[in-house]
Amino acid sequence: MSYTLRGRLETRLAAALAPFLVAAALSPILHVWWPLELVGVMLAIGLALDVALYHRLLPYQPGWAALPLGLLELGLTMAAARALELNAPLWPAVALFAGSWLVLQVLAHAGLPLLRLTWPEDGGELGRTGRVISATAPAALLVIVGTAWAVEPPTVRLAAGVHQGPLVLDHAQTVIGRPGTVIRGGILITADDVTVRDLTVRGGEYGIEVDGAESVELEDVVVEGAELDGINVRRGQVEIRDCMIRSLPAAFTQGIDISFGFDLKPSLVERCTVVGGLEGIVTHFAKVMIRDNHVSNTELRAITMTEMSMGSIEDNEVDGALGVGIFCGDFSHCEIEDNAVSDVEPDHESGDRTRLGVAIQAHYGAEAELQGNEILRSPGGVAAYVDATIDHE
Amino acid sequence: MTARVAIVGSGLGGFVAYATLRHSGLEPAEIAVLGVDPDPAGAWRPRAEAIRQKLMRSESNGHCWPTSFPGFAAREAARRRDLAPLLLSVCDRYRPTVDAFLHHVDELRARSRWDESFRHARVERVLAAGDGFEFDGHGSFRHVLLAPGHPGLARPPALEHDPRAVHAYEPHEYAARVTVVGAGMAAATEWLNALDAGAEVVSVRRREPARRALNVARPLFTKRGLGPFHATDRGVRAALLRRFGEPSYPPGRTWDAPLAAAAREGRFRIEPELNGMDQVICATGFRRGFEHDRLLARLVAEHGLETEEGWIVLADDSTVPALTDRKRTLSLAGTPAQWAYPAADTLVGMKYAARRFARRVTMCPTR
Repeated sequence: MSYTLRGRLETRLAAALAPFLVAAALSPILHVWWPLELVGVMLAIGLALDVALYHRLLPYQPGWAALPLGLLELGLTMAAARALELNAPLWPAVALFAGSWLVLQVLAHAGLPLLRLTWPEDGGELGRTGRVISATAPAALLVIVGTAWAVEPPTVRLAAGVHQGPLVLDHAQTVIGRPGTVIRGGILITADDVTVRDLTVRGGEYGIEVDGAESVELEDVVVEGAELDGINVRRGQVEIRDCMIRSLPAAFTQGIDISFGFDLKPSLVERCTVVGGLEGIVTHFAKVMIRDNHVSNTELRAITMTEMSMGSIEDNEVDGALGVGIFCGDFSHCEIEDNAVSDVEPDHESGDRTRLGVAIQAHYGAEAELQGNEILRSPGGVAAYVDATIDHE
Repeated sequence: MTARVAIVGSGLGGFVAYATLRHSGLEPAEIAVLGVDPDPAGAWRPRAEAIRQKLMRSESNGHCWPTSFPGFAAREAARRRDLAPLLLSVCDRYRPTVDAFLHHVDELRARSRWDESFRHARVERVLAAGDGFEFDGHGSFRHVLLAPGHPGLARPPALEHDPRAVHAYEPHEYAARVTVVGAGMAAATEWLNALDAGAEVVSVRRREPARRALNVARPLFTKRGLGPFHATDRGVRAALLRRFGEPSYPPGRTWDAPLAAAAREGRFRIEPELNGMDQVICATGFRRGFEHDRLLARLVAEHGLETEEGWIVLADDSTVPALTDRKRTLSLAGTPAQWAYPAADTLVGMKYAARRFARRVTMCPTR
């Protein structure tokens, strides 16, 4: 196909309508703006390449060229999304791009030649329709992306150094620290759509407390010396990634506690390291996925899923726990797969026969499904107590 | 219903125009096709057979269906449930077979009800009259598309009466020693045919052929190249058209390897002059210029139409400016329409004229 410049632009704008509508529908459903912003960035990059590069270099564009050009645009779009901090998750963003690219190909090879007989020899131009699209699309794009930009939760950047807390986040926002950013006295989150990233929380009753808030994301946070819990979530829904919980001083301190949100979307704890405390990661009456974490040196249990909780405990590394490594209790349903549990020590002092170095335990009506776990130097092995069941798949 | 739209010429150019008009909503009764052969491939088929053509030079979209999509590649991929035709097509490597093309013409002929519109008539005169055109004895029409086809085979004057000479597009077998005059696609095909038949082949050519996939550069198939082409003045445009008409055939091993092998065996060589071989095949294409076509020559003479060298000067949409207005249309399709579309003699070029003609017809309030 030999496009005219106008043809390239009109075809691209026409093809962007479908992804734009999809993104416009997705954004309010998912409570995120990145789909709209990503489509806007994608379109802007495509149009810029059309004008600056493609029109000059490609007087004739063979069909196969769509693939390398698509990859080029994908790379530039992802780089721009990163530079503009759109917070677009990688694979969903790639999927949105791929879908948009596919729409463009289907339209260019089939849809537009069918809809407009002269489209091929017109070099991709769409006549009056194209002129209308060209005139309205940039304005519509600016309005929608501008609106998205304007109403998007603000981003607060904290400088390196110590900030006196407690920090109360009671409206949607993104708080981003730098290396050396420390909040002293904890963070309290009470609003939905809050993201906290790249900072250290020191001290406080709870390091980070999430109270009745959903769509909360905690990424790359370090919590030190919290008095009760490193991260405490009550009736909330969170995604916690790449965190570090350490220096937990008191006998009752827990690393991460997610409780009483069973009716909410599942929460996620991923790639976190928890050192010490009574329990490392614990859930009560909640749906949670716990994966790829490292929990060590706990006093009661390393990972606990109890009180009718439901979820998966996968690919975690547990070592040096006292009494019990992974615990599924009180009518909970747990999928426990591919974990490595080692050096769980018997807790003779407690006098509790269920705490004699049990690597994985189901207790009191709980149902645990086990697969592919590796257990080393834990004398209690795998055990079920009080009407609990363990299925080995 | 009385037909107000006429297509003069029942070859592929007329057929493409007919299919396009039908797609645009016209009923067979609204269209009159005037020609001498009801088979749209009637003129093309024996030429392809004569040069033993197996594959089309055109690509997936070289077909007569009114919409560009789906072309041959997409249809074959769907039929065979195989992506290979589509992959070849996106790499510009897909060539439909001649058999597939002819089958498609037969199928579309039946589906479009072409035969209901066909009238056996040899039109030799088109006269502008009132808000339309009159054909001597064949009625009057508001909108007319002339697709007269090629105005006859071209032969070098020296070979006009040579008993050894046969035109490539006429039925023929191969002698033991063959000279092929010309250097275009038909000539290249004949080199390979004659070698394949065991002949010794001499290629006589005035100049080296260009090696390109299509006669005309690809941008000239769309507005990208047509824009600058339409902006040229007459002299430049005529020179460009002359250049596009120079002999060429596609690059690639399919052509080069057999010729190289035959040259090594002493069975293929190039010479500047005829040299007394047993058989002379004139792969010299068609006559060029409107003056070789009775209908067009009279049209120009009787209406004082503007011409440049052998071409009738057309508007960019392939209409004759002096004879086209809001109420009537006179369009040219096929080779005579090269002034508007350099690749007018291809199927894609025929669609260019047909689509613009159909648009004028459907938008005309007095259709």
